[in-house]
Amino acid sequence: MSHANGLIAARSVTSRVTSRVMWLLCIAAAGLIISVLALVLYYLVSIGWHSVTWAFFEQDPQPYGSSGYPGGMRNGLVGTGILVGLASIVGVPVGLLAGVYLSEYRTRPWITSTVRFTADVLAGVPSIVIGILGYELLVVPIGHYNGWAGALALAFIMIPIVTRTTEEMLRLVPRSYREASIALGATKARTIVQVVLPAATGGLVTGVMLALARVAGETAPLLFTALGSRLLTFNPNYAFPSLTKQIWDYATGPYAEQKQEAWAGILVLIALIFVLNLGIRFFARSVQTRT
Amino acid sequence: MPAGVTSIESVEKKAAAPGAGESRVSLRRGAYLPDRILALLATCSALTIILLLVALVSVLVYAALPSFHTFGPSFLVHSQWRPNELERIQRDADGKVIKDADGEPVTQTLPPAFGALPVIYGTAVTSALSLFIAVPFSIGAALFLIRIAPRRFVNAVSFLIEFLAAVPSIAYGLWGLFVLAPFLQAYVEPRLNAVFHRISGLHWLASSSTTGRDIFCASLVLAIMVIPIITAVSRDVLRTVPSTQIEGTTALGATWWQTSWEMLRYCRSGLFGAIMLGLARAAGETMAVAMVIGNVNEIHASPFAAAQTMSSLLANEFAEASSDLHRAALLEVALALLAMSLVFNVVARWLVVGGGGARAAGGH
Repeated sequence: MSHANGLIAARSVTSRVTSRVMWLLCIAAAGLIISVLALVLYYLVSIGWHSVTWAFFEQDPQPYGSSGYPGGMRNGLVGTGILVGLASIVGVPVGLLAGVYLSEYRTRPWITSTVRFTADVLAGVPSIVIGILGYELLVVPIGHYNGWAGALALAFIMIPIVTRTTEEMLRLVPRSYREASIALGATKARTIVQVVLPAATGGLVTGVMLALARVAGETAPLLFTALGSRLLTFNPNYAFPSLTKQIWDYATGPYAEQKQEAWAGILVLIALIFVLNLGIRFFARSVQTRT
Repeated sequence: MPAGVTSIESVEKKAAAPGAGESRVSLRRGAYLPDRILALLATCSALTIILLLVALVSVLVYAALPSFHTFGPSFLVHSQWRPNELERIQRDADGKVIKDADGEPVTQTLPPAFGALPVIYGTAVTSALSLFIAVPFSIGAALFLIRIAPRRFVNAVSFLIEFLAAVPSIAYGLWGLFVLAPFLQAYVEPRLNAVFHRISGLHWLASSSTTGRDIFCASLVLAIMVIPIITAVSRDVLRTVPSTQIEGTTALGATWWQTSWEMLRYCRSGLFGAIMLGLARAAGETMAVAMVIGNVNEIHASPFAAAQTMSSLLANEFAEASSDLHRAALLEVALALLAMSLVFNVVARWLVVGGGGARAAGGH
């Protein structure tokens, strides 16, 4: 090290004091971050807590002035469930297969590295821009807002996440597994489907759950694709409700009762994402201990 | 390793079954149908990802063409954003209303005009300010996690940080709108305004009206949102410093901070990549910002003035665009946003991969 002499000479009183101060500052930074983040969580939980009632899950939004006002968010819960489900039908298989390609078919390195790089870059594109792609691809041709466009936009967001996690997880499967399988006469397809993928199941589930947690909380790509609806509907051909859009409408609207509902909606959403995160940690740990 | 073992066994059984050996002998590369199907599906899926990016860019360029034709490059430096015609009463040099022969005020009709400068300014200022707040805390916390905290504690904090990175942005927006903004309006901004008024060179930083929903509030919310990301990636990058490097510095008699500084120097490109990832997130963040920034398409020097970012403009206006030109202009803003995020992300990946934290960057 070139400045070795400098370091030895520098161990003076000032540098020891500086070191102590920086040490304390690092602890203070961590402490402040943890307390601010805990404060945010505390508010999110404590304000919404008493509005999470059975009515929240059982009722649809009721208009201002009606007897059931403000109602619940059943439509949004069902809508988000359907949108995420539809998005998964496209996003999960494409993402898994692309991950398999990146990990198992590395015959042309430049394609592999291009795809990997593109997936990384796509994962960082603002979700509202993806929403515009959904708008141009499915709302403009159909002529009105519809649930399919929202589901497609969510699928586009899922694909890079599932792809990259799948690749990482498949790479953790030891090479000897593949060699053993091939040596036993299995074809490449059989090796992948019956040896490599089962060995990485926990990791694959992690990737899918990461993607689900991400898209379940997305609002921006739904603003001008699914648009949102105050009614419970199962028909994605028209404007389609979602929990996040409902929260956004209520939070930016004028009524106090609806703002309270928005807090309850956020709490339910965060609880869902918390459970998914616990699951991710559980499955990810199972992968790490195995290999 | 239960799953792996059973799979190998099942393959063994099948391989041992009569007939399996023959099929292996006759197998040539690519001759077996399921093999070709899986290879085809995987290749198509991989190419879908490239196609997705190509589609994203080409669709946005195509849809924004009317805006290119109408405004040209000056779109990016023009500061008027007027989706509808505006009737404005004309005034003379003294500010008096000019009246015609019947005593009616003379009005002037301003045509719709679109310029992206206010939203580019809003995005730049909020992102820069949020990073200015977030980076020192994040790197301090990352050093804390790597070098100070006990192991048990690290796991708990890591879980909290990863969970908070996954909390949807609308939750931060709700918190900012109903908790932070009223707090800033009541306690913080009046005092800061008073301070700025008192100091002679800083008058321009003060704002006449404070609503709490402004650049300052948006930057704070963004800082809270990017802190988990920058902390997590910095932690993973710092973890790649070889222990020999740390031991060597310590053996030379370096203090705790001198060793830490060497660690930060060692992986500076990775840390810079972590910051770029935070920047990409901050600049593209939509819902939280749209809720707390006040949504005014104007440029004011004061951080306590309402503003607008590129993404919040899209969230607020795209669904209710009043004309095709308005929509095209919004699409050009979206294209600029996409270009910006591509640059940030490409630089970030390049730096983080170079610094050895590739896995950390791939995770989010």
